[in-house]
Amino acid sequence: MMKKFGEVILLLLLLLLFFVPHAEGTRYSLPGKPALTRCRSPEKETFTCWWEPGSDGGLPTTYALYYRKENSEMVYECPDYHTAGKNSCFFNKNDTSIWVNYNITVVASNALGSTFSDPVDIDVVYIVKPNPPEKVAVTVMEDKGWPFLRVSWEPPHKADTRSGWITLIYELRVKLDGENEWEMHLAGQQKMFNIFSLRSGGRYLVQVRCKPDHGFWSEWSSASHIKVPDYFHRERSVWILITVFFAFIFLIVSWCIHINSHSLKHCILPPVPGPKIRGFDKQLLKNGKSEDIFSALVVSDFPPTSSSNYEDLLVEYLEVYIPEEQELILEESKDLHDGCLKPKGSTFDSDSGRGSCDSHTLLMDKCGEAKDDEQQTDRDGSQTGSEAQRQQAAWEQEALTYAHEDMISPDMSSGRVKTWPSVFSPLPQYSLSPLSQPSSLETAKQHCLSDSLFPPASLSSYLTQPGQSTKEALRSSYSDFCSSNKQPHLLHPQPDARHHLQAHSDVNISSIGHKEAPAGLQLPTVQSTEYVEVHTVNEDDMVLLHPVPSGHSHGKGCLQMHQGEDYSKVNGVDKNNVLLLQRDVIEEQVDMCPCENQDMNGATESCCTSAQKSIPCIHTTLPVQEEKAVNGYVDTATMFPLPIH
Amino acid sequence: MAQRRTNGSKLLMTVLCVVAACRAVPVTDLLDRASQRSDRLHSLSTMLTQELDSHFPPIGRVIMPRPAMCHTSSLQTPNDKEQALQVSESDLLSLARSLLRAWVDPLLVLSSSANTLPHPAQNSISNKIQELQEHSKSLGDGLNVLSGKMGPAAQTMSLLPYRGGNDLGQDKISKLINFQFLLSCLRRDSHKIDSFLKVLRCRAARMQPEMC
Repeated sequence: MMKKFGEVILLLLLLLLFFVPHAEGTRYSLPGKPALTRCRSPEKETFTCWWEPGSDGGLPTTYALYYRKENSEMVYECPDYHTAGKNSCFFNKNDTSIWVNYNITVVASNALGSTFSDPVDIDVVYIVKPNPPEKVAVTVMEDKGWPFLRVSWEPPHKADTRSGWITLIYELRVKLDGENEWEMHLAGQQKMFNIFSLRSGGRYLVQVRCKPDHGFWSEWSSASHIKVPDYFHRERSVWILITVFFAFIFLIVSWCIHINSHSLKHCILPPVPGPKIRGFDKQLLKNGKSEDIFSALVVSDFPPTSSSNYEDLLVEYLEVYIPEEQELILEESKDLHDGCLKPKGSTFDSDSGRGSCDSHTLLMDKCGEAKDDEQQTDRDGSQTGSEAQRQQAAWEQEALTYAHEDMISPDMSSGRVKTWPSVFSPLPQYSLSPLSQPSSLETAKQHCLSDSLFPPASLSSYLTQPGQSTKEALRSSYSDFCSSNKQPHLLHPQPDARHHLQAHSDVNISSIGHKEAPAGLQLPTVQSTEYVEVHTVNEDDMVLLHPVPSGHSHGKGCLQMHQGEDYSKVNGVDKNNVLLLQRDVIEEQVDMCPCENQDMNGATESCCTSAQKSIPCIHTTLPVQEEKAVNGYVDTATMFPLPIH
Repeated sequence: MAQRRTNGSKLLMTVLCVVAACRAVPVTDLLDRASQRSDRLHSLSTMLTQELDSHFPPIGRVIMPRPAMCHTSSLQTPNDKEQALQVSESDLLSLARSLLRAWVDPLLVLSSSANTLPHPAQNSISNKIQELQEHSKSLGDGLNVLSGKMGPAAQTMSLLPYRGGNDLGQDKISKLINFQFLLSCLRRDSHKIDSFLKVLRCRAARMQPEMC
């Protein structure tokens, strides 16, 4: 049993062995295609070709190399398969021709067949790759105490450079032992080279290779080692000396500087005084634009202009201006009206300050409080009685001026009196004429620059003209719009004016006496301190005036009346562009002053006793829009007929 | 008059001296310069063939004419080193000059064809051919001077006319193929010239081995 089993197993094994070869036999095939990898000639006299075999197909494969030269059709086989190693073919000198194309093919053959490789055309002169240079020698030599390496070599012994058959150029490379970077040097055709800048005590490796003029680079020669002797001690000691020396010098210098730092600072960098002009920008100066520099110095809000705050202006001052011509024009009421209403002679006076008051937009806005009321009153109070006369005169003068048109410059065209006519002109310019009818407009325009000049009732003096009862409007009830700003302006002409006025006023006064009561010249002395301030300007463009309590009580006529009453309220302006002033209750009588309207409770003065229509007596008759006088103030911008006539 | 004569004679003397000094350029230097020129010539032609090969239709390699069909193949040149070293200097020079002379006309054809060559590197090729022409011209002049120094045998030249015509081909493929073929011939011939001159240089500089 066991034996039989063993036999069966043996049979099976034999069968397997028998069949396996058969099975493997199906894997036999033609050999794979070989390929010529490269052909090289080391000296342009012989050459070698190597090929890469393909798969062998399982059977022993033989390789054969055949070549054909370009001129003939003869096919030759490789003469030497062994000299150059496996899978190579070596062509010796006799078989090598240059400047002749070789067509080389490798054939792989096995039992089943053969496979041809792709043919390759080569010319020997183009495949030259020499052997590395030989006998590379490196020595250390000295050049004035500094070492350098001298490398010398020889061409590969096979390359015939002597006859010039092959021309070689060389290249070498150097590196320190242990580093990765090589230093390359091209040596040309020379066989010797010097390397400088060595590290003292360093260990160097040197290699050389060569190349024919038209060919491939050889391999690198084997590395030559060389050790550079130590010479650094010499350089190092020198460096140490130099370093110490400079450190020493540096210490001394820094110590000196430190000791004298303060004086040095002043010596080298003396403090430069800089400009200390506020608003002065050095950068601008450097830029060189003088306009910018100087504009920076200019304070924008000086001198104060009138454009900014109408309210303030309204409160502060009222310009009074009376050109000469206009005084004359004031004879008749109508003319007065018109005249008063029109701004004329605006060019009269340069410092009348008229511009601000003239602005028709001034009156549109609400009037501000009179800032300078108190000031005015104070000033008034300070005035002595001796001044009274002068003041009166001045006032009268002003009354006249007020009477002139050009005070309120109603832009009637626009429908509302916008501007306060620049009433106040330098007094000398006045030709005091008893014209006056200081319309209420004008009164309203009293400039409160100077109290003496603005006696509220001053205008009453001008009312002496017969029939010009409206002068009383010039009384203190005139609102003086205090303007401290303008005061200095107008103060100047005052003295002269006063004289003038005085004269005139005297005349006027006397003449007044002849006239009706209201026509009496009321020297507005008393009213000097009485000003009307613009309270507000309401929506209807009415200036609402606020009476300022007056300190003075002298003056008669309107002035006196002002004591008890104040005509600081402008009721309105009637159609004839007459300023309607409103009189307070307390007032006794109003002469000369343009009558205020009566809206006020109470006493209306009969200032308009002039023959002219009583309209000017506003307080009696005027149908002014009383509502404007709600606060007791009237928008003087609205014209009301002058009571003068 | 006498002054003029002396001036004239002086001038003549200086001119003669200069000429003599010019004549005194050693042959080795001349050969050195010539070798450098031929080296550049061969480098240019090698670069040209490589550039053309970069975009060469593979079919062209198959039907490329054989190098034996170069117009200069009729010239007998040494085939190996022993043969080359046995040629006399005059013959070597004559061979070099003949080869160089044989390429004057083909270079003109190449130059004109390069302007319309259907190849991506056409511009570079055209420039190199231009340079080739210049170098060839100057080398030819130098060799003429050299041959004057080396005896009458050096003066002889073989004539190798180019019969390829002015046109390289009608269609793109044939144009490229002919262009490449001519360049390959030029490459070989320039290598021959370079080799001959370098052998000559080494031979003339026996006293200066560093030349070789």
